[in-house]
Amino acid sequence: MSNKVLEVRGLTTKYVTRFRENIYAVDNVSLSIEEGKSLGIAGESGCGKSTLALSLMGYYFAPLHYTSGEIIIDGKNISGMKPDEVRKNVLGNEIAYIPQAAMNALNPTRRIRRFVEDVILAHDPKANKKQISEMAEARFAELGLPASVLDRHPVELSGGMKQRTVIAISTILKPKVLIADEPSSALDVTSQKMVIKMLRDLMEKGYIRAMIFITHELPLLYNVTDDIMVMYAGQIVEQGTAKQMVFDPIHPYSRGLMRSIIVPEEGTRGHKLAAIPGTPPNLKNPPQGCRFADRCQYVVPQCRVSAIPMITFDNTREYRCGHAVQHLREVYSHDDA
Amino acid sequence: MKGYRKYFGKKLFWFGITFIAALLLNFTLPRLMPGDPVSMIVSKQAQGLTEASAVKAIYDNYAKEFGTSKPMIEQFFTYVGNLFKGDMGTSFSQYPRKVADIIGSAVGWTLGLQLPAIIMGWLLGNILGALAAYVRKGFDKVLMPMTLFFSSVPAFGMAVTLLVIFSITLKVTPVAGGYGYDMIPNFSWNFINSVLQHYQLPFWSIVIISIGGQAIGMRSMSIYELNADYVKYARFLGIKDRKIVGYVFRNAMLPQVTGLALSLGTMVGGALVAEIIFSYPGLGTTMYQGIKMMDYPLISGTTLIITVMVLVATFVLDIVYGFIDPRVKAAQFE
Amino acid sequence: MKNTIRQVFHSPKFVVGFCIFMAILLTMLVYPFINPGDPLKMIGLGTFAEPGTYVSMYDSVGAPFSTFKIPDADVKRLDKLLTQEDRAKMREWLELAQVDVSELDVGDMDSLLAMWKQHYDPEIRIPGMIKAVRNYYIRLNNSILSASVSDTLKVTDTDEATGETIEKTKISKTDYVNVDDVANVISLPLGTDNFGRDTLKQLVAACGVSISIGLIAGAVATALGLLLGLLAGYLGGWVDDFIMFFTNIFTVIPSFVLLILINYSINQDQRGAGTVALVIGLTSWVWTTRSVRSQVISLRNRDHVNLSRLSGHSLPRIILTDILPYIASYVMMAFILQVSSGILAEAQLSLLGLGPKTTEVPTLGLMMNWAMLYSAHLNGSWWAYFPVILVIALISFSLNLMNTGLDQVFNPTLRE
Repeated sequence: MSNKVLEVRGLTTKYVTRFRENIYAVDNVSLSIEEGKSLGIAGESGCGKSTLALSLMGYYFAPLHYTSGEIIIDGKNISGMKPDEVRKNVLGNEIAYIPQAAMNALNPTRRIRRFVEDVILAHDPKANKKQISEMAEARFAELGLPASVLDRHPVELSGGMKQRTVIAISTILKPKVLIADEPSSALDVTSQKMVIKMLRDLMEKGYIRAMIFITHELPLLYNVTDDIMVMYAGQIVEQGTAKQMVFDPIHPYSRGLMRSIIVPEEGTRGHKLAAIPGTPPNLKNPPQGCRFADRCQYVVPQCRVSAIPMITFDNTREYRCGHAVQHLREVYSHDDA
Repeated sequence: MKGYRKYFGKKLFWFGITFIAALLLNFTLPRLMPGDPVSMIVSKQAQGLTEASAVKAIYDNYAKEFGTSKPMIEQFFTYVGNLFKGDMGTSFSQYPRKVADIIGSAVGWTLGLQLPAIIMGWLLGNILGALAAYVRKGFDKVLMPMTLFFSSVPAFGMAVTLLVIFSITLKVTPVAGGYGYDMIPNFSWNFINSVLQHYQLPFWSIVIISIGGQAIGMRSMSIYELNADYVKYARFLGIKDRKIVGYVFRNAMLPQVTGLALSLGTMVGGALVAEIIFSYPGLGTTMYQGIKMMDYPLISGTTLIITVMVLVATFVLDIVYGFIDPRVKAAQFE
Repeated sequence: MKNTIRQVFHSPKFVVGFCIFMAILLTMLVYPFINPGDPLKMIGLGTFAEPGTYVSMYDSVGAPFSTFKIPDADVKRLDKLLTQEDRAKMREWLELAQVDVSELDVGDMDSLLAMWKQHYDPEIRIPGMIKAVRNYYIRLNNSILSASVSDTLKVTDTDEATGETIEKTKISKTDYVNVDDVANVISLPLGTDNFGRDTLKQLVAACGVSISIGLIAGAVATALGLLLGLLAGYLGGWVDDFIMFFTNIFTVIPSFVLLILINYSINQDQRGAGTVALVIGLTSWVWTTRSVRSQVISLRNRDHVNLSRLSGHSLPRIILTDILPYIASYVMMAFILQVSSGILAEAQLSLLGLGPKTTEVPTLGLMMNWAMLYSAHLNGSWWAYFPVILVIALISFSLNLMNTGLDQVFNPTLRE
């Protein structure tokens, strides 16, 4: 068995609303990432991918609550730990997070240097401030950020600079796993490229050992990550390598996601652009059978009878659909023709 | 630094403009009265005086001070010139005391009372508001309506209520004045003790009044900040909740400095009326005497000094705020 | 619109505030029917009559009576007659007369009286006691005797023709008059003020006047602030600069000071409630202007406004249909706050002696002013000022509550 940096088994978390209703935004999710690999998670907004990012940290506060499942980082199970132990020994140094809205992720009235000190002191109360400063300066320089950033307040930085600063701070403690939640979607193209380059650098230089990249743009993942998972209504519906997922999506939803995006390549001009009709189901009472059934153009009555399990195919790939792989491939090729 | 200089310059400019506007208003408003302002004042002043020569003397004195025979613009410059020499005219109710002297002896009392009381009210209000936002639940549900109620009680109402409870019923504090009226101000222990005793009620009534508004503002501000993205991010970096709460309250409290600057005028107004209830020897009581005795120079002098005090305090708060909140600096670069 | 109103009435804070305010308004409307008459009529000749029901002594003498034997009537009578001070004095006398009072409890009426009747003799001269004090004891003794000894009280009159004293009627201790049979009974739940006016009736009337002052001041300030804010925000350019110049100045100069200067400049006979309200309104538009302006600026470049402008709609139409509906909730909140601060401003001004002229209408501030001038707070006449404070606080509390409720409805981040 290869070296798994992160392994998640049957993780389920829920939101509890003001009216005490449970919403299972992450439902029985299992995944694993090997040393030096990256995993992309794609899905529409509201599919639970951001909640999955939060749930993977093992640190929960209202309205998000842990229900069941295990999170194992480098052989250590963190799901049974006390919150304060997770805070001190896991967050930041085992698993780190880059938020969706990096624009407002930094305390506007605290200099970056002070904030970096806070982060490090939170895990090592005895750390020396001078050493912290030197270390931070060195790290920032290595990641291509000017050292003067450290003496700025976040309000004085541009959007792209802020995002890169956030990445540098998130990885300051050399976490084993980095979770990036749409780190580039709010940026212009140049800044996007810089952010993605920076994430690659971090992997290559060994500051992080595995990465999860969350986005709603499936094609972007093809350029960034090794493997891809597609999430729908709180569940994983398909997973495979980036190449397989982009060129040979099996689940009707994955295929819909791929086809709803214009890829500016030769030959895509005039390509049929298919939006997925309808909206995701209400997770307060999810449908009994396949959760995608209401929006699926290949739906048959059996789809709605009972929950569909994940099925392995082609040795390493998995999908969650009532139709056989062979059948789907035939239907797709028929459709395309 | 450039941002600060620009900010400072802008604030200084507005301070100057507002100061001139305040002078103009103080000068013009009473002169807007229909008819001859001097005879109007004299008729108020001379109510009850039957001797024609006395009325005439008053009239002449006013005519001289106002310089009504000269054109308006010249009058204004005489007025400003006298002001800068520290001359605000002569009081009529306390003739022949100069208005500047009377105000000089009252300013210290008002500053000594209101400055600490308003700062204390501001601090307590912010702490309460922050607690209400952080604890929510029962604390918030009980405390906020109570705070809202207390902030709805007018300043004089609070002053009278405290006076009746503590001075009249429980007899633990003196009823009126700034010190025992059998005393002459000096630096003896006895006198200071008396001053402190007389200080309690006016001080606390101003504090209680100021708490409410600040607490409510701070609560909304803190709730807003507690939901901010940086709170979530800091949590996921493993920073302790206590430290994050520190961030939140600092960020929520900074705009409250501006909040204080903006509500200062109202607060001082209420506090001046509270002074009257306690016959505290400050500007409020002085102004009240001026109004009761129809002593125009005294009213004009006190209102001007109060305006200038509020202007200076606002200016200082604005400058302090510019230094402590980096968000201001960023706004200057926009 | 309907939905917004429903939402507003689902906010508990708003509803509580609304109910308090409506209760005050209802009292204001209904009370004058229950107790009609001029609220400023001086009915009492003394100052500060205590709260309670006053029964005409004159009328009760001739009124039909019934007889009741009530066991502790005498004790009660003496209880009312002898103040705590009198009892302490009685004990003091007994002590001076060498009576052993170590067992005596002044609170125990029976034993005190028994001892007093046994030992007191006006003939006994206590050394060192001045005549005035001796006379006081004699009077005290007489009243004790008349209360406990004589069973009847004679009411006499002088015959106008002969000058003789004739007995009109005898009143026995056991005679009781039904209050309904007495021609003149006045109920004064809050006593009278320094001029002998019915405080409650005056309070209800004052409440109405003060709320109207608040409403006028609030309406003037909101209208002015709205107009200036709309102009500054929508037109921009030099209009904006011009308006903001004055707004900035009047933000810092305390409106309190302006009010004093302006009101002092207006002669007292011209200073009616309406004038004062107008002046308050004219000095408190700054806040509304500032906030309306900033909201309009953020609205100005929204798509729907641009579209309307491109379609050639007139300025008033754009403002009425594309801007006002978006700031209406905000303007409403500003109005509520200004009503509340207008009421407060009037009270403070009146307390300084710069309120509406004093003879025509009562206002909450004027009531407070008179109570303070006549030292009601120093002589224990709480009914003259405390209800006033409470009413001001309640009005402003209810308005603030409504405002907070609205704020929570329109600013979802503040919701629990």
